[in-house]
Amino acid sequence: MDKKPKNLRPLKAIRYLFKKPKTLRYPFELKEPAERYRGLHLNDWDKCTGCGNCADICPNVAIEMKEIAEIEPEKGEKNERPEIDYGRCCFCGLCVDICPTGSLRLSRDYLHIHFDPNTFSLLAKDEKTDKEHFLPEEEYSIFKASLAHRKENYEGFAPDLIYALFDPERIPMSQIPPEERKTSFIEQVKGFNQKEATREASRCLECKLCEDACPAGMDIVDYIRNIWDDNLEGAARDIYKTNPLPEICGRVCTHNCESACALGYQGEPVSIRWLKRYAVDSIPLEKYQKVLGTEEIKSIGKKVAIVGSGPGGLAAAYYLKLMGYEATIFEKLPKAGGMIRYGIPEYRLPYEALDKDIEYIKSTGVEIKCNTTIGEDITLKDLKNEYDAVFISTGLHLGKSTGVPGTDHPDVFQAIEQLRKVTMGKEIKVTDKIVVIGGGDVAMDISRTLVRLQLQEFGVVDITVSCLETRDIMPATPEEIEEALEEGIDIYPGWGPEEIIIKDDKITGVVMKKCLRVFDEEGRFNPEFDAQEKMELKGSMVVEAIGQVPDFTFLPEEIKKGLEYEGRRIKINEYGQTSTPWLFLGGDLARGPDVINAIDTGHKAAKGIDRFISKNE
Amino acid sequence: MNKKLAEELELIFKDIEVSTPEDTMMEVRAHKEQVLTILGFLKDKGYNHLALISCVDWIEKAEFELVYILTPYLQNYEAYKEIGDIHLKIRIPRENPETGTVIPIFANAEPYEREIHELFGIKFAGHPRLTHLLLERDYAIPPFRKDFDTREYVKDVFDSIPPIKGEKK
Amino acid sequence: MKELELYFGPQHLGMVGNFSITLKVEGDRILEATSNPGYLHRGFEKLMEYRTWIQNFPLVCRINVVEPDHMEMVYAMAVEKLANIEVPERAHWIRSIYLELARVGSHLFGLWAYSNMLGFDTVAQWAMYHRDLILDLFEELTGGRVYHIYIWPGGVRRDFPDGFADKIVKTLHSIGKCVPDYDDTFFNNPLFYERAHDIGKITQEEAKEWGGVGQVLRATGVPYDIRKVEPYAAYDKVDFKIPTRKEGDAYSRVWVIRDELIESVYLIFKLLDKLPLGKVYNRVPNPFKWKVPKGEAYVRVESSRGELGLYMVSNGEDKPYRVHFRTPSYPHGLTILEKVLKGASIADVGNTMISLYVTAPEIDR
Repeated sequence: MDKKPKNLRPLKAIRYLFKKPKTLRYPFELKEPAERYRGLHLNDWDKCTGCGNCADICPNVAIEMKEIAEIEPEKGEKNERPEIDYGRCCFCGLCVDICPTGSLRLSRDYLHIHFDPNTFSLLAKDEKTDKEHFLPEEEYSIFKASLAHRKENYEGFAPDLIYALFDPERIPMSQIPPEERKTSFIEQVKGFNQKEATREASRCLECKLCEDACPAGMDIVDYIRNIWDDNLEGAARDIYKTNPLPEICGRVCTHNCESACALGYQGEPVSIRWLKRYAVDSIPLEKYQKVLGTEEIKSIGKKVAIVGSGPGGLAAAYYLKLMGYEATIFEKLPKAGGMIRYGIPEYRLPYEALDKDIEYIKSTGVEIKCNTTIGEDITLKDLKNEYDAVFISTGLHLGKSTGVPGTDHPDVFQAIEQLRKVTMGKEIKVTDKIVVIGGGDVAMDISRTLVRLQLQEFGVVDITVSCLETRDIMPATPEEIEEALEEGIDIYPGWGPEEIIIKDDKITGVVMKKCLRVFDEEGRFNPEFDAQEKMELKGSMVVEAIGQVPDFTFLPEEIKKGLEYEGRRIKINEYGQTSTPWLFLGGDLARGPDVINAIDTGHKAAKGIDRFISKNE
Repeated sequence: MNKKLAEELELIFKDIEVSTPEDTMMEVRAHKEQVLTILGFLKDKGYNHLALISCVDWIEKAEFELVYILTPYLQNYEAYKEIGDIHLKIRIPRENPETGTVIPIFANAEPYEREIHELFGIKFAGHPRLTHLLLERDYAIPPFRKDFDTREYVKDVFDSIPPIKGEKK
Repeated sequence: MKELELYFGPQHLGMVGNFSITLKVEGDRILEATSNPGYLHRGFEKLMEYRTWIQNFPLVCRINVVEPDHMEMVYAMAVEKLANIEVPERAHWIRSIYLELARVGSHLFGLWAYSNMLGFDTVAQWAMYHRDLILDLFEELTGGRVYHIYIWPGGVRRDFPDGFADKIVKTLHSIGKCVPDYDDTFFNNPLFYERAHDIGKITQEEAKEWGGVGQVLRATGVPYDIRKVEPYAAYDKVDFKIPTRKEGDAYSRVWVIRDELIESVYLIFKLLDKLPLGKVYNRVPNPFKWKVPKGEAYVRVESSRGELGLYMVSNGEDKPYRVHFRTPSYPHGLTILEKVLKGASIADVGNTMISLYVTAPEIDR
């Protein structure tokens, strides 16, 4: 091998002298970047939620979330958009792979020429939102690049769900299959085990969009982090800061948090609700007071009366108790819980879970007087004299009727009353063919309750549900609708009742007319029907579930006079305080209707009552 | 893995711990006085390549761990499977850390020891030139120790430089 | 004759990269040489202790500018070993192809450095041009030309784009067609032989004694190659040769580089032939909530310069506790270079250094 080579062959290279050079003539000839090129950022402002995950992952701290005044964020979004400092950016594209909405991409543009170094921090935009700086290819040139112009439609490194840094898929929740569950009132959702919960909690990106969306502003990110760390007691403490009914919310909350979750834009949101349930399910009731540090609460000698033991009243009582007030709850029905006990069926919220939350609140020293009706057993005036303040959260317990011809028939029922009867152990009428009118959660609850009763009695399911709204805007939560369908319920969205057909004093069906629109241009409820298109739903009994209204009969006239009204609602300030300073309002009367809003109004009212009593504001 | 060698090592050297955390890796925990003899012994046994000397600052235990990684010069996986790698580990206190050099056994230990001396402040007795290798000056705390905070340092050093006149802050 | 101290580099035509050698000379004979690294020390290993497991991944490739890819590979391997992450089969093969492309690119760069230093400007330009073609491939695959940020824990970052395999083959053929030109003008050029033979000569025993790896060891006749010793990626599934020579001087080292380059091209063809289908990435945990279990790992690959290792310690947190790269330029540039320069002439310093394939950023880290 080691032989000295001798020849004239090297001169062969001379022939390249006469060949065309292979190198580009830059800048007259620009290099066209590859399709995946990682160049300057593009960001679709319409899709971007301002979650800030790009800024969090950036290894060079090159991304800063800038507040944009023009953007009006929706609930669960922020008006912040990423600004990239190209003096720091290393074009790694981690921000693209973490972006949960897929709004952030990299373009194939790599030219930014400017004499002012301050321009090297760019708000990432794209041509949809910035027509001024994005030019069609034929108008683009190096000169334009020096004026901070960029090429339009110049997509480069794009997000791809398969390679995303977040996990778009939930850990599946084990549930009892429809065939099995519809025969009894057993709880449908089994709950996470430790491994599943930790894995599900690990999906959370900690962007806090959920906390903005939660009506109660729960510290969701903190408790999910604690669940991931397997520190369930810490998680419980985080939860109880803003929500004293986690067993309930962990099951039936309307989970605005999950709708806001950034992961939900391209994949499935974190199962925040089930995680909350897992955290509190794992701690026995006996340990609650120790874990939450409420074994000894010093009384400050002031008393507050609370009317109604629903989530609003319970929350107000708990937080007042924590501040040292003596809170007494007056409840008309035999057991505490209000709508969550008497409105929500057992398969969604078992009574043990409900009792656990209530028992803990009672264990802190809150007194609950059941079977006590205001206006009969004790008057509001007595309360005013005996207590330093009164909080009312009596909820919406009266059903509304559609009022179409035939609704006065004895076999037309109100869903909310029927649900209450089921909870109280009373028998309700069930026939073999039932029509339910309404598309909200209550409609789903009553239909699914009737499914179970029908199966027990007749062995078959024949329930039809109709509502004005089309399927996409049905007010019930999507899972509820899905599960109702699974259990064999027929749903006819987009139909409104015209008349209940009665033959020989018996109901035989409901005539429905096609609903063209539910809300008018101004967003008000104002349905319009097509009188031509009709159909008949057959059934021998009808249940109406189109909404509930409050019952204010217990309010004496002189107090009613002292209140101001906003439309049909009683006017209250942010603390739930009415124009009569010692009277506070909360629960479904103030906001909602749902559990988490009620809890928040209770919590806020507790603060307001404290403010009223201690500072007389 | 080399079971016989493990037994032999434990027989010859008192007070060492031999374990095999991986199929092709043997871990030997010894005292700093033994390093030179163990390495010499292992080199004769075919562990003839010192791949790396590394140092880990276990600040909570107030110890430095020196890791001598031996990856023998072999030519195929079959041979490698038989004898594998050896990680020889010693622990020395963080206070006035000092140990002996292994240059007499492995000549390429020289720059590794120099680097560890520079970045962790460990003295290697018998090393011919413990001068700067990568850095240009001494630091109050050797920079790779855990109590040296890079971000603090950057703040202290660079935030004190006055801005250029007319530059926007 | 008078003894002088001479500073060779970091600004010197014969010096590639930010590295310098302090020479003690008498006439043009070198009495003592001292390597002087540190011009590029960025403290990467310390920086990595401040960044999460995923944030470190765009960082590691920057350690060695010339071939970032093997750095990515060792990092991914270490994390995978510590966190027990499985890599899909296709990802293993893509990694191998990608790493071989990196080897080709790096060797072409090395060829540029060496021929440029010797004054073979024509060959240097060719090598640079051909390296650019490889960079075009990387751009197409990963979106970046120099820092590819492609191999990450769990697999690779994106699959091959459509028709990419054909593009690799086409590019490599166009480079392969020029091999006779390279041979005629450079490798078989008597001037190269005259300048390089017997320069920086070391024996096999010396190479082993001083911790030589890669071409330095292979040029003395030892086929030591991590791809064979401890196969990673898909290297155990294909057959390839390890080129060696006996002489142990600069001439044979550069020839080994040339032979390896050609062997790598063949290897890529073989890998492409058998490239399996399937997914290329197993999702790693959410980067904001990823704690790698306690433990330590030493992993190594055969970079284009030799045994590249990574010693990593995790204490169960979201960031590594200690990262230490073992780079082949360490023994070559700091131990062997100093030893072989003793007694050499000043004119051969650059020649020796570049033939030892020393890369400053690898030493400094």
